[in-house]
Amino acid sequence: MHKTNGKQYTKVKFKDIAAFLDRSGNRSSRWFSYAGLSIGVLLLLCAVQMYINISDLLRDKNPRKNGYDFISVTKTVTNETMGRDNRFTEQDVEEIRRQPFIQGAAPLIANQFRAKASAGNIIPFSTDLFLEAIQEDFIDTVPEGFNWKAGQQDLPIIFSSDYLEMYNVFAPSQGLPQLSGETLGSINIIVECHGPLGKQMYRGHIVALTDRINSILVPESFLRWANKAYGESEQEPFARVYIKTEDANNPDLLSFLEQKNYHVNKDKTKFGRIKQVLQAVVSGLGLFAVLVILLAMMLFSFYLQLMIARSRENLQLLLTLGYSPAWLSQTVSRRWIPAYTIIIASALIAASMVQWGFHYFSLDGRTSMSAFLHPVVWLLALLIWVLCILINTRMIRKLLYKIR
Amino acid sequence: MHIRFEQVVPRYLEEEKVKRSEIWNKTIDIAPGEHLHIVAPSGSGKTSLMHFLYGLRSDYSGRILFDNQDIKAFDAEQVAANRTRRTSVIFQDLRLFPNHTVWQNIEVKRVLEPYHEAETIKEMAGHLGIAGKLEKPLHTCSYGEQQRIAIIRALQQPFELLLMDEPFSHLDEANRQKAMNLMAGEARKRNATLVLADLKKIDYFDADRIIHL
Repeated sequence: MHKTNGKQYTKVKFKDIAAFLDRSGNRSSRWFSYAGLSIGVLLLLCAVQMYINISDLLRDKNPRKNGYDFISVTKTVTNETMGRDNRFTEQDVEEIRRQPFIQGAAPLIANQFRAKASAGNIIPFSTDLFLEAIQEDFIDTVPEGFNWKAGQQDLPIIFSSDYLEMYNVFAPSQGLPQLSGETLGSINIIVECHGPLGKQMYRGHIVALTDRINSILVPESFLRWANKAYGESEQEPFARVYIKTEDANNPDLLSFLEQKNYHVNKDKTKFGRIKQVLQAVVSGLGLFAVLVILLAMMLFSFYLQLMIARSRENLQLLLTLGYSPAWLSQTVSRRWIPAYTIIIASALIAASMVQWGFHYFSLDGRTSMSAFLHPVVWLLALLIWVLCILINTRMIRKLLYKIR
Repeated sequence: MHIRFEQVVPRYLEEEKVKRSEIWNKTIDIAPGEHLHIVAPSGSGKTSLMHFLYGLRSDYSGRILFDNQDIKAFDAEQVAANRTRRTSVIFQDLRLFPNHTVWQNIEVKRVLEPYHEAETIKEMAGHLGIAGKLEKPLHTCSYGEQQRIAIIRALQQPFELLLMDEPFSHLDEANRQKAMNLMAGEARKRNATLVLADLKKIDYFDADRIIHL
């Protein structure tokens, strides 16, 4: 027996059987389903495009080291936690490192002994001091020579630019000279380290300023040694941890920090919070659009079922006469390909206009964001088109096989 | 096409009728091009036999083989191909589209696998005396006219087997002869097997063999 497929009847066309299908009934449900599908597809395409726009627009544009953001994290001190130790343990740091959206974490080690600084006779000041150290790849400005060996008297220091700025603000009122970054490097600072066995003086000099870390940084090797030599314990918990992440505005990162009750500089992550909210709104819109599309498809399926039920006897007779169920379902379902094509093409055009309008009117055409739809949106439209046709064909095929 | 019945028994048929039959529960071979006349009283399973051969029903035990292939094993597409190219039928209940014109009723079959040009429909209709009805809705035709329409429709396709289930029941003598001649001529052109089932023997059917069901 010759096996056939849906391509068997090269000479038969839909028009040959069109008269035997009752397509008159329930036109309104067909048009409602078309309208629903158009709205749903447009909403979905716009939602996906907006999601992409938000991601693009709210990506952190600050200068970053090797494409990473570095954020200082502390534990939030509240009225409830005020009396407790709000510092990080090694386990906390390990847990932070394990998160997929965090590419590295390093604690700031603080001095566990009393440290004092004075500038000798040039600038008459003396103050108690805190020193911190962090692994070098977390510091934005590490000059050569920022290291320390046991027995070395010179102590290189990296100083926070913010501290220098603050100093320059109050220095005149205290009768002290304002200092430039370059001058700061030439000042000899005497760093006194006090321990149980007495005090030791080091010649500190500022070798670099840092914008990233608000602290007075010394080489890690020095602080680890000094904590052992002057302090009571080297392994103390850490008050601050710096994290290295590809995107400080990643909503997952923000959720994690919030959940752990960790505090970050809000300015660093403010776009992330906006992004979180906007993306949630747009995702909700996308879900709603999917729902609308599903409802439209259901309405269309009712229309098809009704059409096939009305034409049931004729279809049954066509099958009896030798019309192949595969050919019939393909031919009948193909009738709706132009409708689906028009609906999805119109939604694409409308979504393109929305994107163009958003780019030129809302953003005044200034951003690097494209005025055209993202390729993902085109792919999505293609996917919806293919899905609509597939679902339609399967539905008709199922109904026809049922009446066979 | 070689047809073989191997112990075919309709599941619902009484044992008594099966025992009396020359077809049920027997092995029967029908040679290609053979003209077989099945004579059967009402209720003996005549229409069921036609439906089994056409693949409309399969509620029987045993096997029906077309060129050594069990027709029960055909899938939906193979059944459709068989109906389009190898087996044609004139149903006892005609199975026409009541709300369409006579022309549409015949043409919808012809376009599927055309054996004749559309013009032939007019010639055949003229021959059987229904040329004036071609553009009329089917429901305006008498049962006898509808029978002739069903005959013309069955002859529009290529076939190796033509099944006829009481095809002349509502025709007068003159039209029976004309219709029979037309069908026999068309079968000869195709070297097709004819199986005609009727309540009594039809004299003007030139049968090679008569079997009582």
